[in-house]
Amino acid sequence: MQSPSTQKRAFVGQLAAVGAAVLGVLAILPSTVRSLGPGTDVEVRVVRYADGRGAAYESAPKRMAWEVRKRTSVETKLTADQSRFDDPRIFESPFLYWSGREGFPAMSEAETVGLRRFVEFGGFVLVDDARPEKGEFLASVRRELARALPESPLHVLPPSHTVYRSFYLIDRPVGRVEGPAELLGLEAGERTAVVVSAHDIGGAVARDNLGAWEAEVSPGGSEQRERAERLVVNLVMYALCLDYKDDQVHAPFIMRRRGRLP
Amino acid sequence: MLDSIVTAAEGAEVGAVLLVSDGADRSKDATLERIAATGMRVHTVGVGTDDGFSDDAIVDVRADATGFVHQETRVRVELRSSKPRTTLTVFLRRDGEILEQVSVALDDTGKGYAELSFTPNRPGRAAYEVYLPSRGDDDVPENNVAAFLVNVRRDKLRVLHVAGRPSWDERFLRAFLKKDPSIDLVSFFILRTSTDLTMAAPGEMALIPFPTDELFSEHLESFDLVIFQNFNFGPYDMAPYLPRIRDYVRRGGAFAMVGGELSFAGGGYAETPLAEVLPVVMPPSSSSPARQFVFDRFRPVLDAAFARHPLVELRPDALGNQQAWARLSPVEGANVVDGVRPTGDVLLRHPTYPVAGGTLPLLVVAQVDRGRVLALTTDSSWRWGLTTGGATGDASAYGTFWDHALRWLAMDPLLDPTRLRVDAERLAPGESFDVQGVARDRHYIPLTEALAWTVERADTHAAVSAGTVRADARGGSRGVRRRPWRRGVPHHAQGPGGIALTEELFVVGAGASELANPWPNAALLRAVAERTGGKHFASLGDVPRLTDIDATRERVVGRKTMAPLATPWAFAILVALLAADWALRRRWGLR
Repeated sequence: MQSPSTQKRAFVGQLAAVGAAVLGVLAILPSTVRSLGPGTDVEVRVVRYADGRGAAYESAPKRMAWEVRKRTSVETKLTADQSRFDDPRIFESPFLYWSGREGFPAMSEAETVGLRRFVEFGGFVLVDDARPEKGEFLASVRRELARALPESPLHVLPPSHTVYRSFYLIDRPVGRVEGPAELLGLEAGERTAVVVSAHDIGGAVARDNLGAWEAEVSPGGSEQRERAERLVVNLVMYALCLDYKDDQVHAPFIMRRRGRLP
Repeated sequence: MLDSIVTAAEGAEVGAVLLVSDGADRSKDATLERIAATGMRVHTVGVGTDDGFSDDAIVDVRADATGFVHQETRVRVELRSSKPRTTLTVFLRRDGEILEQVSVALDDTGKGYAELSFTPNRPGRAAYEVYLPSRGDDDVPENNVAAFLVNVRRDKLRVLHVAGRPSWDERFLRAFLKKDPSIDLVSFFILRTSTDLTMAAPGEMALIPFPTDELFSEHLESFDLVIFQNFNFGPYDMAPYLPRIRDYVRRGGAFAMVGGELSFAGGGYAETPLAEVLPVVMPPSSSSPARQFVFDRFRPVLDAAFARHPLVELRPDALGNQQAWARLSPVEGANVVDGVRPTGDVLLRHPTYPVAGGTLPLLVVAQVDRGRVLALTTDSSWRWGLTTGGATGDASAYGTFWDHALRWLAMDPLLDPTRLRVDAERLAPGESFDVQGVARDRHYIPLTEALAWTVERADTHAAVSAGTVRADARGGSRGVRRRPWRRGVPHHAQGPGGIALTEELFVVGAGASELANPWPNAALLRAVAERTGGKHFASLGDVPRLTDIDATRERVVGRKTMAPLATPWAFAILVALLAADWALRRRWGLR
């Protein structure tokens, strides 16, 4: 009969053998590759402007990327770089997130040119007013958009716009605040290249380091927060797929789900 | 016949014409009224008889000179037979293959019309024939066949774009395809997978099922190009459809696979029927990620052998093109392929990653039977647009690349390395013609050595004429005049001897062949004579001496007005008379 120490050593040896076999099997199975490189992931890149201001809620871009990754097939980058409009690195990511709470002075000529080129070459900008109750940030953005893209005025996106059905079926935009019933947009050719929100979308999705929500959502509480997260997904999906959901093959399905077809 | 009479009267003082004819006439513009207006007297003599004459004939063929891929083209054929109230069967064929046949009941005069149709499936010039099988007693079998050419173009390029997930690569390709009005785009993107937590009921989302059976069973043949962009077939039960896509390519379809972690070996394609047509050899799908992918950033380099290929031509000159590629923003990551199939042409490569035969191929194209395939093993070609534009101010390279790619996949003849052009599509027997062309080898390097050409009959491939020509330094166009010949069937012109590089089709045959309508027409001859005041004679034996036929006719050729007193002499005489009158009056004391 073996001694307890011998039995223990034998058991450890068997355990080690099993563990080695498991590791061997795991080594044979290919690891899941999510993308061919971080540069190919979808990034919510933050616009730096004025005196170095970035996102109104530092965690908002990362939270947006996380919601998109969790809910859709899109591979997102969960870190958010920041670039100014006059920095060539802004062209590394076709999706820019421009948010703020206060007004800011006029951008430089180089930044204005950079913004214009970014839009003309195919980029998408989400403008998010984090203090829509005052509207100062939005007023400054309007000024800069008019300078950079004078031939494309901001206009109300109609309820039929693809952004409201690019993934979820959404009736109206909401964020931390309920805000206006519509988004604003600026066209570049056949696509909406800039979407402007006066709802503080970032405020609805931002969490602190402990995972707690950074801001209260009013008046709709958690249900409104969920709708804000869906709006984030739709905005990113629109930037990625453009008017894909306007293709005729989708129309009957969408109409039926909106209750407009039997 | 009537045209020749009117022509004879133009600019000439012709009093009378003696016309000896069987009455066959295919004039376009001449009418009896126009002939009568010339003032000529036309005497007609009939020759030939239709007693015992038997013939079935194709009198005329009307087809649009331009057709479109996948669109029906109609042909109207006029028939005539010496046996009225019978039925003729007309066949339409191309390259010996019967496309359609129609039976036509002829009327009491032996005439009838056939309506046939065909649907071209490839662009370019194509020769078709309509023909009547001989009934054995046909006296003029030469008019039983008629050829015509159709220049087939693409009205719209139908593209199916499938993406395994939304990405910037998919986004920019879709934007490019949507922007082109000549592209009819059908897209399906996988927006969510089974592991995604949508936090919503299906009715709250705008998602639809992926209609695999509808796309790849019912409608596959209707597409000119299928693009799989970072798309893995496995989760969608598409394995049964992959052989259909393979066969679709072999029959003439175009297929492009664009890279990503869900493409090539990463998408499980290495051991599928699609691997038989893809121009690359993939590592096993069970390989490790390090075996299947590279993850670095790099600038692709042109493959030395195909640096002049139109697909990678960003600039028309070789040096400028190299520099343009060197200025593009680097791509990030690529699918590893172990090699290239013998039919594959590598156009772009990784600058350093070694594989057998060189460095890692990035862009490979191939002709597969009648179809074409393209493999692009990166999913960040979009950086040739936005990112390059941000760095250099010029974002056009992305659009230029994909424009060339689509045109090559769609078999745009203008992108062929060698092509010929004959200066007329239809030539009359004995008519000379010019041939121009572009001669480059399969690497698109101009062929500057002497090239052999041949002209041959399309039906027998018998050579009609041959010679040599030398292209210029660009391999570019060079006009060459050919000798005339006398056949009435389609002909080919071929490139260098040994292996034909290209061919062009044209038809030899008079547009209004008398053989198409060989029946004597005595009634027309009588009508011409009556209308012009001439006489008709039923045969040569009935014709009297010319002096008995000829007649003199007075014709007012014009009116001349004279003013005799307006001349200087008349004026001088008048003045002299007046002076004499004055002088005589003075002399005689008269007032």
